Amino acid sequence: MRPAARHTGRTALTAAIKLRLDGVEKRFAGSAGEATVAVANLTLDVRQGEFMVIVGPSGCGKTTVLNLLAGLASPTSGRVTIDDRAIVGPGPDRGVMFQDYALFPWRTVVGNVEFGLRYGPAGAGLDARARDERVRRNIELVGLNGSESKYPNQLSGGMRQRVALARLLANEPEVLLMDEPLAALDAQTRIILQDELLRIWGQDRPAAERRTVVFITHAIDEAVFLADRVAVMTTHPGRLKAIIDVPLPRPRGDATRADPQFQALTQHIWGLIRDEAYRATVT
Amino acid sequence: MTALALRDRGQAIGLGAVLPLTIIVAWQVAGMAFGGVRLPLPSKIVAAAATMIASGDLPLAIVQSLGRVFGGFVIAALIAIPLGLAMGTARAVERNVDPVVETFRPIAAIAILPLAILWFGTGTSAAVMIVAYAAFFPIVVNTVAGAKDVNPTLLQAASTMGLSRLATMRTVIVPAALPSILVGLRIALGVGWTAIVAAELAVGAKAGGGGSGGIGQMMFVFYAYSIELNRIIVCMIAVGIVALVLDRALRAAMRALMPWSR
Repeated sequence: MRPAARHTGRTALTAAIKLRLDGVEKRFAGSAGEATVAVANLTLDVRQGEFMVIVGPSGCGKTTVLNLLAGLASPTSGRVTIDDRAIVGPGPDRGVMFQDYALFPWRTVVGNVEFGLRYGPAGAGLDARARDERVRRNIELVGLNGSESKYPNQLSGGMRQRVALARLLANEPEVLLMDEPLAALDAQTRIILQDELLRIWGQDRPAAERRTVVFITHAIDEAVFLADRVAVMTTHPGRLKAIIDVPLPRPRGDATRADPQFQALTQHIWGLIRDEAYRATVT
Repeated sequence: MTALALRDRGQAIGLGAVLPLTIIVAWQVAGMAFGGVRLPLPSKIVAAAATMIASGDLPLAIVQSLGRVFGGFVIAALIAIPLGLAMGTARAVERNVDPVVETFRPIAAIAILPLAILWFGTGTSAAVMIVAYAAFFPIVVNTVAGAKDVNPTLLQAASTMGLSRLATMRTVIVPAALPSILVGLRIALGVGWTAIVAAELAVGAKAGGGGSGGIGQMMFVFYAYSIELNRIIVCMIAVGIVALVLDRALRAAMRALMPWSR
């Protein structure tokens, strides 16, 4: 175990608070006029450069939390802030990777990756050459060289996921919000993209150079593998049940998955949500 | 296409031609046996077609009619597409415009002919107006449907990338609605072509065969003055063939405009 890796793995825990959900509640009005509480009394801080994973069974309000941070939904009560400023709507400082990829089917790989830079504020001040260079670099980063002029419907699920990731990264947002981005992939592709995600996030670099990530998944092993901390949520209504520190050293890789501590953490979190997960399968 | 596939295709066409050919032959035989002067015959139709094409009358009439169709079609598209996009994206616009559109939509294009003639005379402008009116509705209805049917996640993606409303309209809503818009244009072109024949026939009646030109006008002359049934049938067939060619051309254009859907 390299001391440097342990050091960089811990720095995030003392960094400034980037995102904060403070006593947040979110209700949705049902068709019959009754209100459904999606998220209740949720308080959670995410630090600058931290990889925060939210895990929980279906219906625990994970996606609602992400939409609140993205500004795509507003809380019924409580505060949601970035750098201590209230989040009032979506913005290019918070990039979102959607569960169903949300690629523009009429644009090629390049057309999708350059989208935010061409038409949004993220590309302000970039001339065409600088923009093309950044697009090319991000396509390379996710390993899509050679597929630049393909359309999304010509790509496999894993490749589409890479396009969505390259588009997210090309905009260089301060915060990456990712909603079950790997859920639709087969097991092997998933492991490969987990490794790549950590590399792209910057697990080899000092914590100060990393972006802040909020990542949603229902896969506990994925959560433990990726996260600095895992926020465990439960259902009816969606609440925060526990926040688990993941002290596994970085950079992480195949050895991490075989680490007894990795197994123990996975078991522990499974124990926290097992009863509800079982209940969810019979109701 | 391989030689084998080509042969299969040839066979398929051959099989499909059995019934039409039988009907044509029976028509010819029966017509020669029992028909009078008012009965058109396949042999006479072919001869009439050859004369009309050779003289240049038929091609000229088709070109005149097509010019009017395209004119009306372009006017309709320029109004209906922006209006449809506004209706599909802004509730207030839709609530106000939709009742007006739906009130006029069942009124057949030919029913506004009196107004068109009173306002625009019996020439080309009246015919163009009638085509524009007929073509307007399928375009606007399909554009509204396309603009409303945009995948909401794509709109969310655009908003998280900080796009303005105008940029979102141009880069997300319009391309997402494009397949619907093109379907509307395709229907509109067919409807416009149908309307032009009726409009020219009717305008021709009003003008007393005074030569405003076009295929409908040509039919009117054959009907009202020279009473040539074979030539009228030639015009009808020409109308059908032109409609088929227009539709195939527009389909090819649609495929070229939407390379991602191939």
